[in-house]
Amino acid sequence: MAAAAVYGGFKGRKLGVEDAPELQLNRIRITLSSKNVKNLEKVCADLVKGAKDKQLRVKGPVRIPTKVLHITTRKSPCGEGTNTWDRFEFRIHKRVIDLISSPDVVKQITSITIEPGVEVEVTIADV
Amino acid sequence: MGGRGGGGGRKARNFATFRLFPRAGAADPNDRVFVRVDNNDYTVPGFADEDSFDPSLSDPSAGDGNFHSASGPLPEHVRREILELGLPDDGYNYLSHLRELRPAAASSFVPSSTARPEPLPLDVKAYDASRVRVGPSDGELDEGKTMCKVAAKTAPVRRIEKAVDPDVVRLLDESDVSHVGSEDEGLEEDFVIIANRAEGEELEEEDREEMEEWNGVLSDVEEEFDFEEDEPKPRVRRLLDEQFDLLALEEYGDSDDDDRVVKDGEYELPSEAIDELKLFQSQNVCVDEEYRTPADFVRQKVDSSTTDEVDESARVIKKCAEYAERYLNETAEEEVVVLVSESSDESEVWDCETIVSTFSNLDNHPGKIETPGIPRKRLPRVFPGETTTTNDIIKLHGKEKLPVEYLPQRRRNGEKEKKVKPVEASVTDKFKKGAEKETKEEKKARKAAVKEEKKEARKAKKELKGLYKSETQKAQKVAAVTGPSSIRLM
Repeated sequence: MAAAAVYGGFKGRKLGVEDAPELQLNRIRITLSSKNVKNLEKVCADLVKGAKDKQLRVKGPVRIPTKVLHITTRKSPCGEGTNTWDRFEFRIHKRVIDLISSPDVVKQITSITIEPGVEVEVTIADV
Repeated sequence: MGGRGGGGGRKARNFATFRLFPRAGAADPNDRVFVRVDNNDYTVPGFADEDSFDPSLSDPSAGDGNFHSASGPLPEHVRREILELGLPDDGYNYLSHLRELRPAAASSFVPSSTARPEPLPLDVKAYDASRVRVGPSDGELDEGKTMCKVAAKTAPVRRIEKAVDPDVVRLLDESDVSHVGSEDEGLEEDFVIIANRAEGEELEEEDREEMEEWNGVLSDVEEEFDFEEDEPKPRVRRLLDEQFDLLALEEYGDSDDDDRVVKDGEYELPSEAIDELKLFQSQNVCVDEEYRTPADFVRQKVDSSTTDEVDESARVIKKCAEYAERYLNETAEEEVVVLVSESSDESEVWDCETIVSTFSNLDNHPGKIETPGIPRKRLPRVFPGETTTTNDIIKLHGKEKLPVEYLPQRRRNGEKEKKVKPVEASVTDKFKKGAEKETKEEKKARKAAVKEEKKEARKAKKELKGLYKSETQKAQKVAAVTGPSSIRLM
């Protein structure tokens, strides 16, 4: 808590140069998940870059282990034939980015980078 | 990280979670807004300020202050908007069901080109009376005249255009006009020519212009000319091409000539053509205005004649004389008589097969088509089953030593007699050997026996025929197609 307060103070001074000091700072966790690694990485990079441009404290994209959902089915629609099986998989990639900033800024950042297929979840908590 | 400071703790749920959802009713799937997905009390002012979803999901504080549809009357501006749209004012917020049209969205209004207004129902007739002028004074009303006037100016109309909002009509009209304008700008009438021109050279343009002057027809001639010009170029130019071009140049104007010679090296004549032309020039071109014959050269009536010319002329004269003589002599001779033998039908022994196959008659051996005879039994008269009349000996007659009795039957009586005779002879021989005379009973017995045999033979034949009926049917089919029509196998 103390560290957070110190940090908050520090942040406040910095922010005072650019923005109004009354802005509430929150700890914001952005969770990005997608099937598509490429898009996901792109969005992550954009977010981090955007946040760094605004001189926010960013905790870089944390890569949560990929969840692979398997579906194994018989290829044949009937029971006839050699028992061949299809192995389908569905990969979910997840990245987490932590920021400390006001919600408005975050909204700005997230509104810029919109990539189809990437799900964005933002959790805002008190500092 | 400094402890579990404030967020994510089990006890104090001081956080709010928002998720990006596509905006409801938005055409663009990338148009997303933050929507709160948890039920904590924590408030974040100014994060998800637009509530596109039903406010049941989010807290009232999270929104802009959108009213719950059930709580109280709608705000005035909302109600006004609803009324403007023509929806009833019953306290329900119909605006939440509206879909926003974006300019980028795929839903652009395209007026239907195939839309036809409904035709009139059958019991209604419509007239266009827009041209009827109604007179100002009523006193002049004479029924007959007014009827005529009205009738003269009205025209029957098949379809009535439905009454549409004038604004809409104006918009539609405007769009039509704009379309027409754009078409004019977009495509010229001769855009094909222009496109070709863009690839080709200025030459073609000039030619085309000239053609335009002469003909009045633009498109067909121009295109033909363009194509014709393009084709000979990739081909190797022959002497003939050069000569043709020269001719064309001569006949179709000099302006092209200049451009061609100046611009393209291709159009310069090859050396051989030039040499030939020089020869030609040196030989016969009459520099003088007077016409000169070879005789003039020979008799040296021309001042400026060279020895070559004189010799040449002399030779020419001599040759001409020879040719003349020969021609005269030829006409004096008898004409060569060309005999054409007509083919007579009698002498012709060829048929189509011979001619088509190009083999001679000897190879093809065509048969004469004859009328088919009455089918005779092909079995020998003496059946093998006839025990009483069989001989142990099969007699062979003739040069070929054939069993005459068992050969296929011929219609000639002589042969019949021959067959009959040996049979009878054999029968009688046998019995003569055995018994000198035949009694009546023996004769009867004999004849009865013969009858029995024949009866049995007939039965056997019938059975056999029935047994193989299907085979005969097939054979009949085949024979019907291929053989003469009178063959009957069953």
